[in-house]
Amino acid sequence: MKLRAVMADDEDLARRVMREYLSQEPDIEIVAECANGFEAVKAINETKPNVIFLDVQMPKLDGFEVLELVDSPSAVVFVTAFDQYAMRAFDAAAVDYLLKPFAVERLRSALDRVRARIREARPIGNPHELKQAARAPGDYLERIVVKDGPRVHVIPAGRLDYAEAQDDYVALRSEGGNWLKQQTISSLEDALDPRRFIRVHRSFLVNVERIARIDANTKDTWVAVLNDGTRVPVSRAGYGKFREIVGAE
Amino acid sequence: MHPILQDWRRFATWMTAWIPVGAILVLVVHLSGRLSYLEASAVMAPAVLVFAFVCLSPFYVCRSLPLRSAPPGRLFANHLAAAVVLSSGVMLIGRFTATMLAGAFPGVEQRYSSAVPVLAVIVLLIYEMAIALHYAALEMESSKRSEILARDAQLKALKAQVNPHFLFNSLNSISALTTIDPALARDMCIRLADFLRTSLRLGERITIPLAEELALTRMYLDVEQVRFGNKLRIVQNVDAACTHCEVPALVIQPLVENAVKHGIAMMAEGGEIAIAGIFHRTHSGAFLQFTIRNPFDPEAPSTGRNGLGLRNIRERLESRYGTAARLDIQAEDRSYQVTLTLPMRVSK
Repeated sequence: MKLRAVMADDEDLARRVMREYLSQEPDIEIVAECANGFEAVKAINETKPNVIFLDVQMPKLDGFEVLELVDSPSAVVFVTAFDQYAMRAFDAAAVDYLLKPFAVERLRSALDRVRARIREARPIGNPHELKQAARAPGDYLERIVVKDGPRVHVIPAGRLDYAEAQDDYVALRSEGGNWLKQQTISSLEDALDPRRFIRVHRSFLVNVERIARIDANTKDTWVAVLNDGTRVPVSRAGYGKFREIVGAE
Repeated sequence: MHPILQDWRRFATWMTAWIPVGAILVLVVHLSGRLSYLEASAVMAPAVLVFAFVCLSPFYVCRSLPLRSAPPGRLFANHLAAAVVLSSGVMLIGRFTATMLAGAFPGVEQRYSSAVPVLAVIVLLIYEMAIALHYAALEMESSKRSEILARDAQLKALKAQVNPHFLFNSLNSISALTTIDPALARDMCIRLADFLRTSLRLGERITIPLAEELALTRMYLDVEQVRFGNKLRIVQNVDAACTHCEVPALVIQPLVENAVKHGIAMMAEGGEIAIAGIFHRTHSGAFLQFTIRNPFDPEAPSTGRNGLGLRNIRERLESRYGTAARLDIQAEDRSYQVTLTLPMRVSK
C-alpha cells in the first residue's frame, strides 16, 4: 500500500528538503504541500492522507490548531526547529516529531513508526490535550479555532461570551453568533485563563467580563445575567469561584 | 582624596552640618567652664573648624581596615589611637586659642581648663560617630557597587541570547541547500557564522556606533533572506548623520528580529520591513529616532513568549538612560511600528 502524505511548512527550503527525503521512499506519495495552516486544513480534509508532516509554527493556524480542525486524524509527524514545551508534549502523546535539521535516517525511523501505527489502526492522541500540554506554564489560549463549513473561523478569547457543553461538543457564543466545536467543556476550561473564564456550572463556562450581575434563584442556585441579557445557571461551586475571582480584584 | 573634598557642593553640605555640632561644643564649654557664649564661641571656633576636617580622616583608616576582614584587635587599637591623638589635638587647639585670647577675656584660660574633661568626652564621642558613619557609607557604597556589577552581568547575559529558533531554522535551510545549491549553502554558512561572531563580539560592549549595529542587522537579514526568499523585503532609510551616534549594543537587531519573527514569518504572503533613522536637534538636546515598521496578521496564531524581548530591551534602556530613552509601540490595523528614541550627546 502506498502511503499518501501531506506536508505543511511555511518555508520553501524546509519543504524542499522534506520532498527530497520523501522522494527516496518508494511507498510514499506526496499528495499536497501547504505553506500555511488554512491550506493545510483544506488539503487534509480534501485528500484524507495517511500521514501528515506538520510544522508547528505557521501563518494563519499553528500545527495544533490544524489538527483540531481536520476530520480524519491520520498519523501525524510534527516538524519543528525548537520548542521545549512542544517537544515535551510530543513525548507524552507518543506522536513522532522531527527536529530541524534532521537526517534522512531519522525521517525513516519516523516513517516506520507511522507504518506500525497505521497497521495497528491506533488513533492519534486528542489534539486539544496535545495543544494544552505544549503550552508554556502560565500561557493560556488566546483564540479558539472552529470549523465554519469549509472555512475556518477564529474567535479571539476576549470575544467569547460563554461556552455551553452539549454532549461531545461545546456551543460557543461570540458576538451574536453561535459556533459548535467538538471538544469537551473541561478541556476548553483548562486551556483558557482561569482569571478570565469561570466554570459557573457543570455545563457553562462564562467570560467574567460579560457578567452584568448574579441573581439568587433558589436556595442553592443562582443565575448570571450577561450584558446581552442571556441568563446562565450558576451552581453553588460556580458561585464560590465567581466570588473568589471578583473578590480578589 | 575624600569624596566630600572632591565636590564643593558636598563640602558645603558637610561644613553646614558642622554649625550645629560646633554649637553643641560651644554649649558644653559654656556650661562646664562657665565661659560666656561669646567667649566660648571665640575659643572654640578654630578648634571646631579643624575638627570638621579631622572627622573626615576616618575615611582612610576605615578603608584600610574593612569591618569584615580586619582583625578586631587591630581595628580597635588603631581607631582608639587615632581617636586619642586627634581629639587631644583638637583640645590643644582650643587651649592655644584660649591662651591667645587671655588678654581680651580675663581668666578664660583657667575656665577652659575646667571644661576640658567634659569637652574631651564629647569630642571623642563625635569622633567615634564619624568612624561609624564612614563605615556605614563604605558599606552602602560597596553594596551599591555589587548591585551594579550584578546588573551588568545580567544585562550581558540578556544581550548574549541568540534565538534558538532562528539558529535551527537557518541550519535547516543550509541542510536543504546542500543538494539544491551547494554554493549558496556554503554562502549561508558564512553569513550565519558572520552574524554569530559579530553578535558575540558586540554583546561584550555596552555602546557601539550605530553603523556597527546596522551592519549586524544587515548580517541577520542576509541569513533570513535565504530562509524567506522574496517573502522578506527590506527598505532602509537611515540619515547619514545618525551613523556615528553611539547606541546600546544589540537593541536594533533584536527589534528587527521581532519584526521578522512575529510579523513577516506569520504572513502567508510575506511583507516589507521599513527601517528608518533620523537625527533630531532641538533646544533641549539632540536625539536619535529609529523606527521599524512591519505588517502583521492580527489573526495569526500566538508565536509564544510575546513581549519578553521588548521588556528586556526596555529594562536595558532604563538602566542606561533612565526616562530619557523611549521605546514606543504602535499597533494599528495590520501594521506594527516600534519607535526607539535615544538621547544623544552633542559635541560642541
